[in-house]
Amino acid sequence: MQKKVHFSEPVPHIHRTVLANGLTVIAVENPAADIIAARIYIRAGSRWEPKGKAGLAHLLAAVITKGTEKLSAWEIAEKVESVGASLGTDAASDYFLLSIKTVSADFANILNLAGEILRSPTFPESEVELERRLAIQDIRSQQEQPFSIAFDRLRQAMYRDHPYSFSSLGTEETVANLNSAQLQEYHQTYFRPDNIIISLAGRIAPEDAVDAIAQVFGDWQVPPTPLSPLLLPAVLPQASWSAIPQATQQSIVMLGYLAASVQEEDYVKLKLLSTYLGNGLSSRLFVELREKRGLAYEVSAFYPTRLDASQFVVYMGTAPENTAIALEGLRAEVERLSIAPLDEEELQASKNKLLGQYALGKQTNSQLAQIFGWYEIIGLGIEFDHEFVSAVSAITTAEAQEAAIRCFVEPCVVLVGPETAIASLVSPTI
Amino acid sequence: MSQLLTTYQFPATAFKLDNGLTLIHQHLPATPVVVVDVWVKAGAIAEPDQWSGMAHFLEHMIFKGTEQLEPGAFDRVIENRGGMTNAATSHDYAHFFITTAAQHLPETLPALAEILLQAAIPADEFALEREVVLEEIRQTYDNPDWVGFQALSESIYQRHPYGRPVLGTSSKLLERSPEEMRCFHRFHYQPHNMTVAIVGGIPAEEAIKLVEKYFSDFDAPASCPTYTPEAEPPLTEIRRQELRLPRLEQARLMMAWTAPGVEHLRSAYGLDLLSVLLAEGRTSRLIRELREEKQLVQSINSAFSLQQDSSLFTITASLDPEHLDQVEAIVGDAISELQTTPLPTKDLARCQRLLCNDYAFSTEAPCQLAGMYGYYNTIASAELAVTYPEQIKSFQPKELLHLASQYLSPYRYAVTILKPC
Repeated sequence: MQKKVHFSEPVPHIHRTVLANGLTVIAVENPAADIIAARIYIRAGSRWEPKGKAGLAHLLAAVITKGTEKLSAWEIAEKVESVGASLGTDAASDYFLLSIKTVSADFANILNLAGEILRSPTFPESEVELERRLAIQDIRSQQEQPFSIAFDRLRQAMYRDHPYSFSSLGTEETVANLNSAQLQEYHQTYFRPDNIIISLAGRIAPEDAVDAIAQVFGDWQVPPTPLSPLLLPAVLPQASWSAIPQATQQSIVMLGYLAASVQEEDYVKLKLLSTYLGNGLSSRLFVELREKRGLAYEVSAFYPTRLDASQFVVYMGTAPENTAIALEGLRAEVERLSIAPLDEEELQASKNKLLGQYALGKQTNSQLAQIFGWYEIIGLGIEFDHEFVSAVSAITTAEAQEAAIRCFVEPCVVLVGPETAIASLVSPTI
Repeated sequence: MSQLLTTYQFPATAFKLDNGLTLIHQHLPATPVVVVDVWVKAGAIAEPDQWSGMAHFLEHMIFKGTEQLEPGAFDRVIENRGGMTNAATSHDYAHFFITTAAQHLPETLPALAEILLQAAIPADEFALEREVVLEEIRQTYDNPDWVGFQALSESIYQRHPYGRPVLGTSSKLLERSPEEMRCFHRFHYQPHNMTVAIVGGIPAEEAIKLVEKYFSDFDAPASCPTYTPEAEPPLTEIRRQELRLPRLEQARLMMAWTAPGVEHLRSAYGLDLLSVLLAEGRTSRLIRELREEKQLVQSINSAFSLQQDSSLFTITASLDPEHLDQVEAIVGDAISELQTTPLPTKDLARCQRLLCNDYAFSTEAPCQLAGMYGYYNTIASAELAVTYPEQIKSFQPKELLHLASQYLSPYRYAVTILKPC
């Protein structure tokens, strides 16, 4: 019988404050190293992109560091690089992110720079043009990777009109039409203090962290008009089948099921099932399809945390002649979870694995800043750090099975590989 | 009893056990986690040519257990207790690590020692796992950057086994037997070849006790064909090759120079600085000129990879095929400039600060520390790892100019170009 294990992780004291202008600050003091990491989250990920403008948030991330009212692209880079700091921007589906990491003494200066970048970017036309062209090249380069080809198709098949149907890069067509005025407008709409969380961890007292942030962002006025709520098309499960011929050495076999958003009850149960199937060397897919049958080197499952309907994905790369049995094997393993409950031992082992790795994911300052800010920006709040642990611990085998029955209905299937290996396969249900 | 090896500034402690095994330990009382990272001097350069791929394949087979632990049992011991485990093989080493809660170490460490020392390498599992490795090889052929880098390595290392792929090739792997692998294991997985790095919430006495107890039962060394790498003669020309690949969206320009190995560690660190100067960050010379100003590349990177016998200095770019010649010429000019013009103090200070901060940023977590100590102890000695920031800070423009002249050249390098079919 598997025993329950605990990581006696010292609970970091998390300090949370909301400034008068609505900007939320989360600070964790961690004196272990002479480092401060901060994550500035803005509710402006690709989920908020207007229809037909996929890639806008990503382009904004590329250009926002390339000119402000006071500084040129070169001066910005020089300020960061001359002190060996890092400052990066990224557009995810559910948030826009500016990350910084510095030795403690440089933190105030780099935070100041981050403030300048977020508050008064100028989006110079020449920089927009350069980064747009590079984004289009990046989109094309994605096609060099068989996994990306498969995953792109899976997203389109599952999400159709919802913004999750595109990678954050967008598509060649949508990116080609983006311009500086659209970046300005997007920035003006979403970059406002009541739409921002700043989360940091490192060698700094929480009150000093709040002061530093208030100094840079405290006088940023909230616009008089409230943000209008985002209305997105509902996503409904719909089975599909795609076979994409490519002259590759391996076939990629990928199955996706529409799955619970982070607000739904099934979220933690599906996290547990994805751990059971795809996490680590003792995971079910690894043992059954790789260790016992030698079908793959890479075989896994993932279930990202999403504000809207997520996707539960299983996939593997296999020799072309094994495409059919790989598909059958993946599907059988997923559907097995609906047919019969896990036994108690499997359940406890998966809980230990999920919670153990969860604890291990909170070791560095960047990880601490990342996780608490992320919980806040997606509306779960920092309490979720504890709630998640209790919720996972409480899952029963019957509840896990019920979640499986609701989620694993009919998959969207994508095959990428040599035409001879994939063309003859047909979906048993379509 | 173990003998103390360490000097003052080193935050960890190195012990040599009676059987010749080295233990590096650092106690981090604030963390509940312990990392055990075992490094074995048995990477791909230990293989005779016909056994290419053996070291990596053995790394897979280690996880197939022993007479006491059936295949998969080790993975469950670690993961069912909330821990993580994995392994990696390169030319200079194979290493195996677990991250585990401190209170589970009495169960997890013995299991790790057991699979490393008593690997059974069962014949049926050997045949099955070979299929997995063949899939791994197949997957790398679908990655153009890997294909290009491998071609470049083969071109620059024509004698030294750094030119061979760590994974080996399908045809060579198919000729190997479980018995040969057992010999390879018993010959190389011996205490004098092994460093156990333990970092985290465990005091030294406990760590020593566990390691002395469980890393003791080594088999007598078997005989095994060995291989002494030949030194690579210096490049005397531009060694050029061009590959046409299907499914390629952008061309690649991949240039490489060989550089000193660990016995000239200071020179290697100097070249590390030059690599940052050329292509790390938007203010670096090549990114500024080629990505931002002339806009000739999609991306450009420079890397310095420290290796035991011979390090590798590389510059790689993704770009439109029509810009290949021009970009290669500009990189050549940038190399010439390093040889003729001393670095402005400001540029040097930027690179020094960046590398010292990178060092601080990458030694935060126990797994990063354990990995660094184990790696350094495998190719040189663990204590050297922590001298890095001081070494980096002490470089002057003149020394770097000299290093650039000695090791880099616009007339002597290997270049591999990938073009779409």
